[in-house]
Amino acid sequence: MKTLQYLLLLAFLGILIVAVTNLPPRGDVTAPVHQHVNPAGTPVAGTYFIQHAYEDTRTPNMVTVILADYRAFDTLGEVIVVFAGGIACFFILNLGRRKP
Amino acid sequence: MLEFIQGYYAYIFLATAFTIGLYGMMVKQNLMKKVLGMSIVAATTIMFWIVGAYKEGAGVTVLDPRFGVEDPGMYLNPLPHTLMLTAIVVAVVTLGVALALLIGIYREYKTLDEPTLLERMK
Repeated sequence: MKTLQYLLLLAFLGILIVAVTNLPPRGDVTAPVHQHVNPAGTPVAGTYFIQHAYEDTRTPNMVTVILADYRAFDTLGEVIVVFAGGIACFFILNLGRRKP
Repeated sequence: MLEFIQGYYAYIFLATAFTIGLYGMMVKQNLMKKVLGMSIVAATTIMFWIVGAYKEGAGVTVLDPRFGVEDPGMYLNPLPHTLMLTAIVVAVVTLGVALALLIGIYREYKTLDEPTLLERMK
């Protein structure tokens, strides 16, 4: 049974490595993802956010701008996920204690 | 050969680490080790996106007044980083709930070993 699992994992590792070496190399500027023309008309990924982040919000950090301004509703949902996780932890930990 | 290693060492390392995490989840009998494997899988998925977002000659995604915004090739794509912040939060919450469940299981059955646990649950 264990041998089958090890063989499965090795086959999976082989598939992953073959798939990964078919990607463009790390940091390649000519990779297709960096050649894709955005709706903004420029051939570098994320150009819209880079060029408009400071104009729109006066915040130099673009990651902050996307997280808290462009995708604020997404972040709100994230906070709800954290809250649900905290509530779940609280009740799970209380459950064991209430038993005699 | 050297170029191949420089271009792909991060990807190959992440594929190996992903498989190690799956190994922990599949083969190990201890529930704590299974949770650690799950955490490794989540971390390698996040790192894979960060490695894929890297661009030769680009800096961090903080506006530098010396460069301005005319040449977007000077900055990394900020979108994968943002999405991975979200993924990190979800992974941390999953890990926290899993650890709380482990504490509950240990209080109830006094063990985290899977065959012993199945034996005591009968």
